[in-house]
Amino acid sequence: MAATAAAVVTRPIAPEQASLWSDAWRRLRRNRLALAGVIYLTLVVIVALVSAVWTPYSTFQVGVGIPYAAPNAHHLLGVDGLGRDTLSRLMAGAQISLIVGIGTQILVLAVGVPIGLAAGYFRGAFDQVVTFLINLFYGIPDLLVALILVFLLGPSLTNIIIAIAVTRWMDMARLVRGQTLSLREREFIEAARAAGAKPAKILFGHILPNALGPIIVQATFGVPAAILFEAFLSFLGLGVPPPTPTWGGMAAEGIVTIRISPAMVIAPSIALSLTLMAFNFLGDGLRDALDPRGRR
Amino acid sequence: MTPSTRADAAKRLPAPILQVKDLQTQFLTHDGIVKAVDGVTFDLYPGESLGIVGESGSGKSMTALSLLRLVPDPGKIVGGKVLFRDQDLMQISDEEIRDIRGRDIAMIFQDPQSSLNPVLQTGFQIAEAMLAHKKATKQQARQRTVELLKRVRIPAAESRVKDYPHQLSGGMRQRAMIAMGLANAPSILIADEPTTALDVTVQAQILELLADLNQELGTAIMMITHNMGVVAGLCTRVLVMYAGQIVEQGPVDQIFENPQHPYTWSLLKSIPRVDALRHERLRSIEGLAPDLLRPPKGCRFHPRCPFRVEKCLTDLPPLTEVKPDQLAACWVTMDRAKKEMGADQLLDIRPGAASGLEPGKIIP
Repeated sequence: MAATAAAVVTRPIAPEQASLWSDAWRRLRRNRLALAGVIYLTLVVIVALVSAVWTPYSTFQVGVGIPYAAPNAHHLLGVDGLGRDTLSRLMAGAQISLIVGIGTQILVLAVGVPIGLAAGYFRGAFDQVVTFLINLFYGIPDLLVALILVFLLGPSLTNIIIAIAVTRWMDMARLVRGQTLSLREREFIEAARAAGAKPAKILFGHILPNALGPIIVQATFGVPAAILFEAFLSFLGLGVPPPTPTWGGMAAEGIVTIRISPAMVIAPSIALSLTLMAFNFLGDGLRDALDPRGRR
Repeated sequence: MTPSTRADAAKRLPAPILQVKDLQTQFLTHDGIVKAVDGVTFDLYPGESLGIVGESGSGKSMTALSLLRLVPDPGKIVGGKVLFRDQDLMQISDEEIRDIRGRDIAMIFQDPQSSLNPVLQTGFQIAEAMLAHKKATKQQARQRTVELLKRVRIPAAESRVKDYPHQLSGGMRQRAMIAMGLANAPSILIADEPTTALDVTVQAQILELLADLNQELGTAIMMITHNMGVVAGLCTRVLVMYAGQIVEQGPVDQIFENPQHPYTWSLLKSIPRVDALRHERLRSIEGLAPDLLRPPKGCRFHPRCPFRVEKCLTDLPPLTEVKPDQLAACWVTMDRAKKEMGADQLLDIRPGAASGLEPGKIIP
């Protein structure tokens, strides 16, 4: 009897010893799709890193194979119209996609989080301006904003990242503002104020850590959205300028000759789709793992 | 604390550490102005423990929050002075009041569960209270955190430092909150119903802890509560609030022994007694707490008062000295009610029952 009572008492306490993050990681691992996403993305990151120092053939050199050659033993994914190795370019493309995806989200976080925190906490006139801007940016089509910015700034990797971030910052700002509005009314914020904490400390030391879960999830979903947007811009010829290989650009180059060499379109498309899917699975998994109300 | 030392403590009054003068806090609502704190005046003396009692909505918490200018929207402090160390806390800049919060005047709240940040380690939150006022280096703060946790008698303090709030029990969380409040050795600790969310045995431990800290550290404690038992156990002086105003104040023994305001008298009468007869009904105060949007004319307690006279319906009684150290805001006072209206034998406590000024006879 005593032994069973002890077992009953100790069991619920044991998982509680884990910190918030290790607990979330434990729950994430149980989600198979999310785990598959993590594994696939790790692979993409490794490929992107390797491509910086080594690819089977040079990424830029033309005429390494017969143009439009189908996949064969020398060129596993075939050769493009200028005689460049598709596999090598696909590997280098992973690098660009990740830089665009993650770079955009870093900018979005850097802009959206402070704006959202300040608007939600101080409210008043600043909040009204921010809310107006958020609604304004939602009102204008993303593509229009991005196209105008790329035209104005000129197409380069950095400018593409800026252009995409401009069309995406308000998702984050709105989320953080909403979180802040509800967190600011919590008693521990009042307690922090009563302890003499400065507004910056309350925002970044107390409110932000409590909003981190939703922010991480939002950022994770933002990465594939940015990658897709970049691919779309590249497909339209407004992305990262050639000869830098991007998945969207490669698909665009191949689309004209899709009947002769389908691999030129199919290879980057599959790479893109799998990456987007992996990020979305990961985002879903994180959402469940970071939700404190989630089941174990 | 024995009654005699408590009475002594009440008598030896040095210069007040905090002087509140005619404090007014109002809420601007769609329906009108709610005077949550309406002309509250009192002094707090160094090292004393002052109880503020009153029912929900009597303005006791708002009084405490007003002192530190923490009144939530849409509340506003519209008048009055709070003198602390020769400065008026209502007039100083936002930065200056921020420095005073937590350093000179600390506050602990009702529910320790929600007053601790759930995603930060408890020890970190306590250390932060020190770092916010640059009272210590990180190293010192960490050391002092362990000392503070020991001081508030948290067992295995060294290992508890790294615990998150959800890993602590309710009582331990409130102890941690108290440790946070004491982190900067403040001269005043405001405790807003610190035992309400805890179960009875833990309540007693927390009160004992507060009493000990009050004695050992000489921190003045302002205890906000609706529980007369808490006041009796911990405080030397008490303020009784009703509808945003102080209706009676004085030494705890004296007021428990001989309340002069009918509201205080009714409150004390309505405490359940273990020695009451088995089938005796629990006494309560007739009527409802007043709507602060439209407070009654005259004395705010008159619609519920068994001893009201005609003057009560029209004129607001000022807080005047009725006995040495004891102030009450009442035209009648219990001395007269006992002598002339037989308050001690009174069974019918409906409004106006004792004075004969019953609802039907009220002049509008």
